[in-house]
Amino acid sequence: MQRRSFLSAAAAAAILMQGHAMAAPAVVGQSAPGFTLTDTAGKPVRLADFKGKTVVLEWNNPGCPFVRKHYQGNMQSLQKEAAAQGVVWLAINSTETASGDYLSPAQLARWMQDKQAVPTATLMDEDGVVGKAYGARVTPHMYIVNAQGVLVYAGGIDSIPSSRVDDIPKATPYIRQALGEIKAGKPLSVSTSQAYGCSVKYKS
Amino acid sequence: MIRFRLPRILFPALILIAGLVHSTLGWAQDSSKTVVTTPQVRAELLAFAPQGVPVGLGEAAAARQPVWVGLQLAHKPEWHTYWKNSGDSGLPTTLEWTLPPGVIAGDIAWPIPKKIPIGSLANYGYEGTVLLPVPLTITPDFKPPLTGNTLDIKLKASWLVCRKECIPEEGEFALQIPLKGSTALNGAAFEAAFKAQPRPALTTQGILPDSVVRIDGNLLRFSVQGLPVELRGKTLDVFPETPEVIETAATPKQAWNGAEWTASIPLAPQRLNSPSLMPVVLASNGQGWRAELKVVGEWPKVAAGPGVSSAPDTALKANAAATAAAPAGGSTSLMLVLLGALLGGLILNLMPCVFPVLAIKVVGFARHADDRRAHRLSGLAYTAGVILSFTALGALLLALRAAGESLGWGFQLQSPGVVAALAALFTLIGLNLAGLFEFGSFLPSSVASLQARHPVLDAFLTGVLAVAVASPCTAPFMGASLGLAVSLPAAQALAVFAITGLGLALPYLAASLVPAVARALPRPGAWMQTFRRLMAFPMFATVVWLVWVLGQQTGIDGAGALLALLVSGAFVVWTLTLNGRARLVFATLSIAGFALLTLGIGQNIVKFADSTPVSGSAERWQPWATGKVDSLLAAGQPVFVDFTAAWCVTCQYNKKTTLANAAVLADFDAKKVHLLRADWTRRDPAITAALSALGRNGVPVYVLYQKGRAPVVLSEILGVDELRSALAAL
Repeated sequence: MQRRSFLSAAAAAAILMQGHAMAAPAVVGQSAPGFTLTDTAGKPVRLADFKGKTVVLEWNNPGCPFVRKHYQGNMQSLQKEAAAQGVVWLAINSTETASGDYLSPAQLARWMQDKQAVPTATLMDEDGVVGKAYGARVTPHMYIVNAQGVLVYAGGIDSIPSSRVDDIPKATPYIRQALGEIKAGKPLSVSTSQAYGCSVKYKS
Repeated sequence: MIRFRLPRILFPALILIAGLVHSTLGWAQDSSKTVVTTPQVRAELLAFAPQGVPVGLGEAAAARQPVWVGLQLAHKPEWHTYWKNSGDSGLPTTLEWTLPPGVIAGDIAWPIPKKIPIGSLANYGYEGTVLLPVPLTITPDFKPPLTGNTLDIKLKASWLVCRKECIPEEGEFALQIPLKGSTALNGAAFEAAFKAQPRPALTTQGILPDSVVRIDGNLLRFSVQGLPVELRGKTLDVFPETPEVIETAATPKQAWNGAEWTASIPLAPQRLNSPSLMPVVLASNGQGWRAELKVVGEWPKVAAGPGVSSAPDTALKANAAATAAAPAGGSTSLMLVLLGALLGGLILNLMPCVFPVLAIKVVGFARHADDRRAHRLSGLAYTAGVILSFTALGALLLALRAAGESLGWGFQLQSPGVVAALAALFTLIGLNLAGLFEFGSFLPSSVASLQARHPVLDAFLTGVLAVAVASPCTAPFMGASLGLAVSLPAAQALAVFAITGLGLALPYLAASLVPAVARALPRPGAWMQTFRRLMAFPMFATVVWLVWVLGQQTGIDGAGALLALLVSGAFVVWTLTLNGRARLVFATLSIAGFALLTLGIGQNIVKFADSTPVSGSAERWQPWATGKVDSLLAAGQPVFVDFTAAWCVTCQYNKKTTLANAAVLADFDAKKVHLLRADWTRRDPAITAALSALGRNGVPVYVLYQKGRAPVVLSEILGVDELRSALAAL
């Protein structure tokens, strides 16, 4: 009994020294907020399931021209490169059901399939809880969570905020660059950038 | 920022004339190319050159004949396009001009925007009809075309038009502006756009205070001077020109202090920009003012922490590298090690093992609250005691290692005799603090007066005591540092130990040298008795811990014997406080009893128990042995080793929390990880050797081995997340 009470005092001291700070919404350099969402097939997917792997979060809405700009090939090739590196790719759709842009899980899955998109999972966030936890403002807003569960990148998919496909090859591809640097064990040269696109159609 | 320079009074006249010209002479431009209509927007390229195009004039003369062009966007209801800072989403409209040589287009003179909220987000943009004017500079290099009398202009514009949904649109436009005669048909539209331009807020260097924005945690506090008097008391719309700084959707909390307008707005959680100057447009009733605010204060870090967290085996590499590099004599790395030692020493003050000793110091401090000189002396003596004994302990360790002993830091607690002696000492101190006896009442009077006459010696000895009990707590924070120290040349190693001691003593030393600290303490009085009694309990808690450590080393018989002797010893102490005949009788009896007890069961204390005391051993943990890791790895199994000791508090904490965590154990099972526990509670040369192979000289150390990979050394305060992610990487 006495032994236990002494140990718990020691435990309290040790906890004090760890000093975990959790702040919402997500901040680059801090723990990424955990979440569980269902994919377009109705299967639950947890961020925590991918601990130990790099995870890319892509805010998606096929109704947004900026998303369509990148789904003319750029997004798919990023997804393929990520998969080849063992990086998890989660496309998250936070469009509310009342929005004109809303696609049902089946419709969204169909669209992604038509586009030959290959994310690890396409997730439904109609309530916008996860989008707001990450502070996602636009589609496509991009995030990278490292193997330790720390948010290491938040921002745009590349450096030229436009809706023109022609601009993609001219832009600095921030996501490709970041994944390359993570793979090489280097610090990210760009860890935040301007996210550009359409507003996320959040439930008000 | 471009401002219109034409005297305002001229406008009505010009517009009238322009209208007449248009109606009578017709328009020279090809209207099919000036308008692009989409379902959302009607976009038109307009020009305004009321005095014609200044050809072949000097700069000053040309400035008196302004030439403006602009894109007018007429939005269908509910649709909008964006300002230069589009806010949370959207894109500013862009204009790309194709102009004859010698004609230069300026930037868009953005009219005041509107804040357009969309749910929890907000944008800055335009609804209804807006004209985005651009000034043209006609330099003397401009040569009119031989074939015509016009200035030919081409524009490629792109705009993002949004309602809930967004549509990016583009248009190509062309316009010919007559060189001679007035182009002023759209004067009204341009005038409206000029009126909607923000004007600069008044700045008078040295008379008006600067307009500033102060960073206050996660708030920006605006203070703007030089706004017109008629604005006072009004609520203003705020439009920062720098994107991604403030939380766009937030409503500013604003107030007027006389001529000063103030507001506080939260920073964007994912702020991108950290400007040193923040231009802001403030608007009310269609009128706007622009102020350039100096930023005061430090921007909070945006991307704090590691951009990329290093691979988990970095700690091991760093240790190995430090060990390899330092003996070569790198002065930088030695400095780093010394700095680490100083910090480690400082942190020791917060450790449970050191706390009781610190408590004694606090009591002593309060007792001499008014004697500054005594404080200084005792502070210095305490520091000397700590540093000297730290160095002496280090020297002893080095000497024993040199003599071939396999020892590590905290080794003194591996000896049951030392543990028992410390337990007795702390019992004695605890009883004293609790008020069972005063030293003077039973010590020979010469010794008692020695203690009273030599508070300096007393302080010195407290320092020695602090080190003796602190040493086992050092390992978790200084594992790498002390591990390195024992591999350094002797002089440098001793320096590391001395600096660690300095760190431990530093807070008390500083307190003793600063008179304000003593003054801050309450005056001596009855509270000191209460405080003294209170401090007895940490002492007894330490005794409990020491008895438990002894129990791990020598089993239940050893711990029982120690407890019996402690009670008997306490009885002896009490009898010595009695007076007269009672003292003689009781003291004789108690001392005889104590001696008998010591003879009878004392040996249990120092006799190691036979069974391997793998503390709290569940079946999943097996004792570590040399070569066992290698043979398991050869069989293809991953191995996790917990280097621990009963006297290591951090080890025990990790064992009860992280290593008992259900999710962690499930992960261990899922990955079929073999769990080994290396118990260093007692001396074990094999474990000492294994630790030094990992670059360590103390416990805890947690290592994950996998075939074909470098072992992963985890942090000393083992986190569930950290361990699980390391396991997931298997």
